[in-house]
Order: sequence, then C-alpha cells, then structure tokens
Amino acid sequence: MTGRHPFTPLQGRQKFSVPTEVDLARNRLLIAGGLATVAFILVAFRLLDVSIMPVTQIQKGEKSVSITKHNVSRGDILDRNGHIMATNLNTSSLYANPNLIENKASVATKLSPILNLSVASLTERLESKRTFLWIKRHLTPKQKYAINKLGIPGLNFENEQRRVYPLGSLASHVLGFTNIDNQGLKGIENKFNNTLSNSDRPLTLSIDVRVQNIMREAILNSINKFNAMGGAGLVLDARNGEIISMVSLPDFNPNLPKNMKKMVLFNRATHGVYEMGSTLKIFNTAMALEHKKITMQSGYDATKPIRTSQFIIRDYHAKNRWLSIPEIFIYSSNIGSVKMALDVGRIYQKKFFERLGLLNKPQIELGEVGKPIVPEPWNDIHTMTISYGHGIAISPLQLVAGVAAMVNGGVLYSPTLFKKTGLVIGKRVVSEETSEKIRRLLKLVVSHGTGSLAGAKGYLVGGKTGTAEKVVGRKYKRQALLSSFIAAFPINAPKYLVFVMIDNPKAIKGMGHRPTGGRVAAPIVGEVISRIGPILGVKAINKNDPSIQEQMTMRVLTMKSGEKRLVSF
Amino acid sequence: MIKRATLVWMALSILSGIGLFNLKYSVSEMEDRLIALQKENHRQMESIHVLKAEWSYLNQPFRINDLGQRKLLLTPVTGSQAIDIKNIPFRPEFAPVYKLHSSVPPAVGHNSSPIITSKRVP
Repeated sequence: MTGRHPFTPLQGRQKFSVPTEVDLARNRLLIAGGLATVAFILVAFRLLDVSIMPVTQIQKGEKSVSITKHNVSRGDILDRNGHIMATNLNTSSLYANPNLIENKASVATKLSPILNLSVASLTERLESKRTFLWIKRHLTPKQKYAINKLGIPGLNFENEQRRVYPLGSLASHVLGFTNIDNQGLKGIENKFNNTLSNSDRPLTLSIDVRVQNIMREAILNSINKFNAMGGAGLVLDARNGEIISMVSLPDFNPNLPKNMKKMVLFNRATHGVYEMGSTLKIFNTAMALEHKKITMQSGYDATKPIRTSQFIIRDYHAKNRWLSIPEIFIYSSNIGSVKMALDVGRIYQKKFFERLGLLNKPQIELGEVGKPIVPEPWNDIHTMTISYGHGIAISPLQLVAGVAAMVNGGVLYSPTLFKKTGLVIGKRVVSEETSEKIRRLLKLVVSHGTGSLAGAKGYLVGGKTGTAEKVVGRKYKRQALLSSFIAAFPINAPKYLVFVMIDNPKAIKGMGHRPTGGRVAAPIVGEVISRIGPILGVKAINKNDPSIQEQMTMRVLTMKSGEKRLVSF
Repeated sequence: MIKRATLVWMALSILSGIGLFNLKYSVSEMEDRLIALQKENHRQMESIHVLKAEWSYLNQPFRINDLGQRKLLLTPVTGSQAIDIKNIPFRPEFAPVYKLHSSVPPAVGHNSSPIITSKRVP
C-alpha cells in the first residue's frame, strides 16, 4: 500500500494532527482489548451452548431420555388362563456383504458346519455381486456365538423377532402360523393379523390348554388304535358358546412352517363338512317335539324298512316292532326318524334347520370355515334322509353349537374362540320344555342305549352316537365310516359339550365288525369327560341322589308281549 | 480502584458459574444413570419375556402329565375327589381323641351348626 501511494498517509497527518507514541499505543490496546472481548463473548456463548443447549440435543440424539418400552413387534396369544400359546423372541439373522469377503471358499467352509448348509451352495451365494445377502435367518444363540468367534469381516447380524409357539402342535389349527416376516398365514394368526401386528396387547382365547391336551391325546390314541384317517374334537361351553378345546388331527407344528402338506393344514372341526349321521336325530326329535304334533307318548311302527324309488331305509339296531319317540331316539331308529320328519313336513324342517344356523356358513374367528352342503331343492326325499343325518353336510362346529342350544334350555350362542366377559346374548331356538325333554333322552342313550360306553365316573353324561357312511366316489360305502359322539355334561344342567369324530376307523378284533360311533367315539368322550370334569370345576354327582333321580328318570311307553306299557328308565 | 459493587457482581457471577457447572454435571450424571437403568430394565424385561416363553414351554400339559406320572406317581384327579365345601363336617372342638380314630363320623352334620363356636375364628 505504502509503496504505491507514498504520500497519502503523510498528507493526512499534515492535515489533522501529529500522532504521538501514546496515541498509537492506546489504539493498539483498544483493538487488542476489543478482540479479547469478542473472544470472551464467544467463549461465553459456547459455555452457554454446552451447559444449557445439550438438553435439547439429547432428546433427539441417541442418548434418549424418553422411556423406552420393551419392543415387541407382534402381540402374544394366550389361553383362557394366561398360558402363552404364541409369543415373539429376539433372534439374530446373519447377512453378508460379499464385496468385503476376500476368500469366499474358506469362509464358506468355516460357516458350513455351524449353519448346516452345504459348502457349494454357500460359496455360490457368496460369489454374488450384491452388497446385501441373507445367509441364514433366525440363528440359535450357539450359532451366533460360533460365528462371532470366527471374526470374519463382511459378516453381520441383524436383530429380528421370531414367532414361537411353546406348545408345539397342540392347538395348531386354532393358532395357525406366520411366515418368516411374521405375517399370519393360517388360523387366528391370519384372521387377526392386523390386530396382532399393530399392538403388543395379547389376545386371550377361550381355549384351555389342559383340556386341549386331554382331547388331543385321547383322539390321537383312538386314531392309532383304529388305524383311522383322522379325527376331530370340540369342547364347547353350553352357556356362552366359548370353545374350550378344538382339535383336528392330523395336525402340524407351527414352529416349522416349511414343507407342510395341505392335508395336515385342513381343520376338520371347522373347515370340513360331513354328513354327520344319527347325531342329527337330536335336531329331528327336538323339531318334532317343538312342532307339538308329536309328544313323548307318540310312536311309529318300525317293523318294516322304508322303500323309496332310489333306496331302502333300514334300522341298524333293528327292533322290528312299534317304537315310542324315546325308543326311536335311544335305539337310533332310522325308520322312526323318517316317519317323524315326514309328519312334521319339509317346510317346517327347513325352517327349523335354518333357525339353528345349519344352512349357512357359521361365524367363527378363523378363516378356515366350511360352507354347509344343503340340498337344493329341498324335496321330501331329503326330508327323509336329513332326519337321520344324511343328505346334508355340516361342520362339527355347527353340530356342536346347535346341540348346545338343544340342551342348555333352548338358546343358541354363536361359537367363539375368544374368552367372553360379561353377558353373552343368544337367540332362543326351542322352548325350555323341549330342551328339558332332549336332556332326558340324551341321558337315556348313555344309560340304556347305543352310547353306554360314554359313561364317566362321577358325572352324569348324556349324548348321542353318530355312524355315517362316507361317500366314496358317488356311492355310500358301508365300510368307510365317520364315527362320532356328541355329549353334554352334567346332563341334568349342562355346562359343557364334548364332541369327538373319528374319520374312517377300521374294525379291530374283539370290537364287533363295524367300528360305530358307540364303539369308537363314545369311549373317548367318556374318558375325556372324566378327566376334564375336575379341571373345569364341574362337581361330581351322586347318581343315587333322589333329586337327581327324579330329574333324570322318565316313563317310556314300550311294547311288551304285544301291548303298550309304561316302563321306567 | 475497583468499586465494591463490581467485586460483589464478580463474586456472584463466579458463584453462579460454579453452580451452573455443578448442576450441569449432576444432570448429565443423572442422565447417564437413567440411560443405564433403562438399558438394564430393557435387558431384564427381555429376559423375563424369554423366561415366560420358556416357562410356557416347560409347562406343556403333556410334559407335566408325563413328569407327574413318572416322578411323582400322580394320577389325574377324578370327579369324586372334589366335594362341595358345605359337605365337609366341622371338627368338634373338644372331641375326645378316640372319636377321631373311630369309624363313626362326628355327630355334626353339614346342616347343623357347630355345637361350640371355635375361639380361633378371627
């Protein structure tokens, strides 16, 4: 500056004043002081910054002071007593960035024994050009430890959650399962996928795992004993429609959702529809009693089989005589049932079945629900066959819900898999009187009729057998049976219904040539009731108690030496 | 010459500075503790969750059933083992000892009230 304009400063000085050494020093001091002040102000601001401002930074930074909740990405499923049926566990999944792995072959050889994967497939996958590659999802803690110990760069873990079913295949058809990304594919997991994945609040089911286990074991034993194709079982609370147990066999392990056969996924209790056979005589008899045309003293001649244009209707336990209404029920007479239904007429019959919800798809918290197969049009021939449980196919769930209404005083409750709280509203379908009569009839089947093997020590059981011939191809096959039994206990004031169905049991030595409902399913029901009764808190009954005797005995009109007489049962 | 007021202000500012720093350090210390506690809490909750799942696994009804039968010689409860509480007779307070061993049940039925009210009833 001064070099280019040498005279400028001199001119200024000459014009104003002569600077002294003191002035110069003061100016310099001022400038230095000013700079120091600015620096101190900066330091002060920085001090404020570090001592006061960090609070706001903490809230958005990683040092979070907000209350961290235990992070569950999918709600648990509990049984009615709070036993965990499905939950989520944290696991680690192994992924790789192949670009960072140098010696791919040696890494593959090291990983192979830990992960149970072949060296060849691992090497091939590591050769890929991608930067992200799942090696294996959901490792066990041991596997994770072993891989960490190898210390290979390029391998990393991602924290994930895995759906776990601690009870294995118990209740598998109720729960269903999820895929690897925790999306429900079957059962409750599928139907309530949104509810479960949007909140960590648990779902409480009406299932009791203890009852479920007893039911499953009993049916499984019977399937093995009779070399059967499968089976189904239900326990229903007669007073509110809660399903305490739902079994379908064969079943599956929801923890291993890979490679499952379609057959095991099929829920026989809700998805399968079957021609149930004689258990439908409960509805037929209730319908006749409700119609008021027929009383307990009425009866029909069951000497000769009924011939229609297409087939002959016979009695399996033929008595070849006049039978009263209770006898028709106890001995499961097809001939008597057909005549009863024809007297009531097909229009009333269809309406009655409609009212019981047997003609439409039932409501239940599952996706796997079968639609009943109903004759269209509903002719007299159907009226005849439906009276003894053929020509209409319904699911076990529908049967049990309907029978519950027949015995609980006449109120139909929609079956549910969720635990109910408070008052449950049902729909009246038959009168109290009819229901009371049905209870007495069901008790007679067990004490004097085809269901004698369903008796359980300490409990009054009432029930009805069902032996239906299965349709194979286009014909009913005498050897392929669907043997079932439906029971209510304690039958004087029913609390629970127990239903068991065995699909295609084979005859075994010493049990008659035909594995009927009374021989196959009734003993299972008896065994199940004697075991679940104490668990469900049902008190044992003294059968000789006079008040119970009075509640349950009835005088039945029967044919003795050519004339009708009253006999006490 | 420094005024007295300036001295006071200086002392105050130094004191407040020290106070501020102390507060700041204690707050950040507490924050660290809070975070540590939360981490611990989280860890504990996770292990409780795992333990719950394991508890459910160990309580599989078929496993309990099997263990009970093998190790404890237990059999399932039957309906006749449960009776109504009103059917349990009261124990007579001053019953002679031999009466307890006799096969004759005490004379107090379930319908009648106990002869002597127990003094131990709170």
